[in-house]
Amino acid sequence: MLAQLNSPAMYLICGGIIAFVAVMCVVFMIRAYRAGVSLGMDTTKMKRTITASATFAVLPSVGILLGVIALSGSLGTPIPWLRLSVIGALHYETQVAEAAAEQTGITLSATQMTPTAVVTIVLLMSVCIMWGMVLSVFFTKKYSKKLKGKGDSESSTGENSGSKSIIGFGDVAMTAMFIGLVSAYIGSYIGQIKSTGNWLSLAVAAVGALAMAVFILIREKKNQEWIDGFSIAGSMIIAMAAAVFLAKL
Amino acid sequence: MTEERNAFFEQYDKKTHVLGRVTCSICIILFVGAPFIMGIVLGAMPDLGAFARGFLAIGPVWLVSCVAEYLIYVPMLGSGGSYLAFVTGNLINMKIPCAINARDIVGAKSGTAENEIISTLSIATSSLVTIVVLALGVLLLIPLQPILQSPTLQPAFDNVVPALFGAMAFKYYKGNLRVAAIPVLMMTLLFLFVPSMLGSVSFMIIPSGGIAIAIAYYFYKKAGTL
Repeated sequence: MLAQLNSPAMYLICGGIIAFVAVMCVVFMIRAYRAGVSLGMDTTKMKRTITASATFAVLPSVGILLGVIALSGSLGTPIPWLRLSVIGALHYETQVAEAAAEQTGITLSATQMTPTAVVTIVLLMSVCIMWGMVLSVFFTKKYSKKLKGKGDSESSTGENSGSKSIIGFGDVAMTAMFIGLVSAYIGSYIGQIKSTGNWLSLAVAAVGALAMAVFILIREKKNQEWIDGFSIAGSMIIAMAAAVFLAKL
Repeated sequence: MTEERNAFFEQYDKKTHVLGRVTCSICIILFVGAPFIMGIVLGAMPDLGAFARGFLAIGPVWLVSCVAEYLIYVPMLGSGGSYLAFVTGNLINMKIPCAINARDIVGAKSGTAENEIISTLSIATSSLVTIVVLALGVLLLIPLQPILQSPTLQPAFDNVVPALFGAMAFKYYKGNLRVAAIPVLMMTLLFLFVPSMLGSVSFMIIPSGGIAIAIAYYFYKKAGTL
C-alpha cells in the first residue's frame, strides 16, 4: 500500500496543488509590494518584513517537516506533504485521519491501510478544515468593511468591551473543546488495557506527555520561545521512537 | 492619507477581494477534488458513509474552531493576509506570530493600509518558506523510504496518534486541571465499563468536549478567566 501512496502520480497530484498555492503566494506578495511602493511606503521596511518573516518561518517549518515524517509511515509521503504544506496543521491532520480511519474500520497504521480508507481520510481532512476558506469567500469583504467602520468609531470611544468578552470566552471554549477531545482518547487508552491488554498506546502517550513537559520547561526556564515550533512534532517523534523500544518489552 | 492614496488603496483592496475569492474558491475545489483524483490513481473512491460518520463525529469541533479563528484573526491579518492564511494554514504556530512580529518590527497599526501590506507580505513570505522547506525535506525523504517502511519502525508509525494525544494532553491539561479532571475521569470509566465504545472514540469527543466547555464556562463566569 505504501508503494502506491508514494507513487510518482501521487507526488504529481500533491505537488501540482502545492505549486498552485505557491503561485498564489507569489502573486499576493508582488501585488502587496507594488501597492506599498505606490502608497509611498518605505521599501526598506517592506524588505525588512520579508527578511524577518522568512527567518521567522524557517524553524517552525522544520518542525512541520518532522510532522510529515511522523505521518509518512501510515499515509505515505505525498499526502502529509500536501496537507502540511497548505491549510493543515499536524495536530489537526492526525486527529482527523484517526477519526476517518476509525469509521472505515481500521486504525491509522500502514499495515491496515486500504485505498478506500486513504481517500476517505483525505476527503475528511479537506472538508473538516475548509471553513476558514469558505468564510473567506463569502464574508471577508463584508467583515473587513464592518471592521473598518467599527475601527473608526472605536478610535474615539475606546475598545468594544462586549465583543471583547465574547472573543475572550471563544478562546476559553476552544481550549476546553480540545481538553474534551484529548480526554476522550486518553480515556480510551486506559480502557484498552482492560479490554485488549494493549498498554503500549498509554505508555506512548505518557512518553509524549513527558517530552512535552520537558519542551515547556526549557521554554519557560531558559526563555527559549523558538522551541514552541518544535514542541508538538518533537514530542511525537520522541514518543514514537520510544514505541519501538517499548514494543519489544 | 491623501485623497489620491485613499482612492488607490480602495482600488487595491477591491481587487484583493476579487483575487482572494477566486483563488480561495479554486483551492476549495482542488482540496476537495484531490481525494477523488487520488482515488482514480489508487483504484478506489471515498466511502461516503464513513466520511459522513467521521464528519458528524469530528466535524463540529473543527467547524466551531474555524469560525472562531476566522472571527478573531481577520481583524489582525487584514484582507490579503486572511485570504492567504486560511489557505496556507498553520495559523497559531506560525502565521499569526509571524505577522505580529513583522507588524511590530515595522510599527504598523491595525486597520491601516500599511498594516494590510505588511501583513500580506509577511504571510506570503512565511508560506513560501514552509513550501520550500517541506519540498526540500520531502526530496531528502525519498531515499529514506526503505528505512521508514522497515518492520522495526512499525510500532512507531502505529502509535502516531497516542504520541500526539500524550503531548497535547500535557499542553492542554497544564494549568487547566480543574476543567480536565471530570471529562478524563468520565471517559476512562466509560471505556473501562463499556469496552464496546472503544470502536467509537471519535463520537465521544462531542459529549466530552461539551462537558469540558460547560465546566470552563462555570469557571469563566465565576472568575472571568479559565
